[in-house]
Amino acid sequence: MSKVVSLQEAIQEVKDGDTLLFGGIVEDRRPIAAAMEIVRQGKKNLVLLGTCSQSGDILVGGGCVAAYRGCYSSNGAFGISPNIKRRAESGTIIIDDIGHLDLSIGLLALQAGVPFIASKTCIGTDVLNPAYDNLPKVAEVVGNKEMLPNKKYVLMEDPFFNMGTVQLIPAIKLDVCICHVQMAGEEGTVRIDGSLTFDHYGALGAKKVIITAEQVVPESYIRQDPNRNCIPCTSVDMVVEVPWGAHPGQVYNCYDMDIPFLLEYAKSCSTQEGFDQWADTWIFGCKGHEDYLDKLGASRLEKLRAFPPYGYVPRRKGGVR
Amino acid sequence: MTQQYAKIGEYTPVEAMVVYAARFLANFDGKKGLIGTGLPLVATQLAKMLYSPNMVVFVETGQADANPEELAISIMDSRLTYGSSWQMGDPEGLYPLSRNEIDFGFIGGAQIDKYGNVNSTFIGGDYNKPLKRLAGTAGAVDIGVFAKTTVILMAHQKRRVCEFVDYLTTPGWMVKKWPEGTLVRREELGMQGGPSCFISSMGICKFNDDDKIMYLDRYFPGITPEDVKANTGFDIDVSRATEADPILVDEIRILREEIDPLNIYKMR
Repeated sequence: MSKVVSLQEAIQEVKDGDTLLFGGIVEDRRPIAAAMEIVRQGKKNLVLLGTCSQSGDILVGGGCVAAYRGCYSSNGAFGISPNIKRRAESGTIIIDDIGHLDLSIGLLALQAGVPFIASKTCIGTDVLNPAYDNLPKVAEVVGNKEMLPNKKYVLMEDPFFNMGTVQLIPAIKLDVCICHVQMAGEEGTVRIDGSLTFDHYGALGAKKVIITAEQVVPESYIRQDPNRNCIPCTSVDMVVEVPWGAHPGQVYNCYDMDIPFLLEYAKSCSTQEGFDQWADTWIFGCKGHEDYLDKLGASRLEKLRAFPPYGYVPRRKGGVR
Repeated sequence: MTQQYAKIGEYTPVEAMVVYAARFLANFDGKKGLIGTGLPLVATQLAKMLYSPNMVVFVETGQADANPEELAISIMDSRLTYGSSWQMGDPEGLYPLSRNEIDFGFIGGAQIDKYGNVNSTFIGGDYNKPLKRLAGTAGAVDIGVFAKTTVILMAHQKRRVCEFVDYLTTPGWMVKKWPEGTLVRREELGMQGGPSCFISSMGICKFNDDDKIMYLDRYFPGITPEDVKANTGFDIDVSRATEADPILVDEIRILREEIDPLNIYKMR
């Protein structure tokens, strides 16, 4: 059965107060078109899980996020994600820091259907500082309280291998997981090139999974080589074809990052007025993603197209500037 | 490369820091490193070219034995994928740490204290309303907990090199035992590893064997031990320091022309 819907229809399934994980990381394979549609539809009080780089930061700027539990709020070489930085420094967003392995292991627990996994991930650090534990504040704003654990962590002595103090890391539960990928079958089977980031964990455990894909292909085609597939159709609820759906970020084997656009974003969004103007141009000034692509223009996008066999635009072929 | 030395002023302090870091990585030729985002990626690219061609690079976004042909722009850049042995996701990128496979971690940060603890979360003010909010933990916490040793790279400024970090992101030698937050030696919590070296824009700092407090081991040409003292937020011991070998013209040329020709990392 085909699960192909429009971007607008898919994002209508995201509810205010949902816990949300975006696939991809930093500016790689981020569901930017989906994030822009969430802003366009005016979702509120979302709890952003994982990381807050390009796609997450757009949601923060758009006023959609009440709390963020994650490990990385930066756009890499383009600076700390400007909207969450500004909101953090004005004390107007709840942040609950966790570690990168915490996130991996929390999502592994979700995927495996177990309540917690033990590791030494954040032993000795301020991630475990009770004074910085904002989980109770997140619980005040989250729509579905069952998505959050009762405690951030529990310490205990390793009873099996004498590893000393270990941290019990609760499963990270998700209402929605939105991934942008290179290819999806019309029934939802997903193929990813480059880093899988957390997509293969989040999509297997989230209650609702939305896939936006550069290309939607016949399901029979993607099933010719199932070992190459990363998310089964059985875990996917909706599929949307969104070419250039991660612009201004990159998608391995498809396109490289749009550096001037990323720099412009970093510069514009140091103030809320700046973000609002940026959003007026690129989100509210566009009826949808096709309109956004028309505004960018074909020649701009063509310069970003990945060069085989590299999966990006190598500097010897001009590079991205 | 020719052995011609670059004159002071012909390179920036950040370029010096990256070149000395690349030289230091010669210690890890043939070893497995988990490399963090920012300038560590640049120094690693230079080191693979000049000083440690057999260093095995792991990245937290899931590449095993990454061999990027050109400098990555971020920690998940397509440039890291192409040419790697294995490309999975972030969990598989991090499990080599918790599996105890990683010989050294290499990270940047915003603040380092005299015990080698690193902060990449926030500076000043309060956790819930910081003066300056930073990127957060990412791999920095995991590298500090699990790698057999860590190497830290950061500009040397009084506010950055301090008595104790505002937020302990990457555990150094003296860490916090919860729930009280008592400062204890990392071994007491069953943690192996610990920082071996802090390479700054002024010199190379190491840690005393007994009390694990940072001291100056080398200062860069054009920098005096007094300069380092004046730019350090605690009373750093400089009595054992000697001057580092000068930078080579070719090291700077390769850094500028071959590693970062577009000046993406704003080193100059």
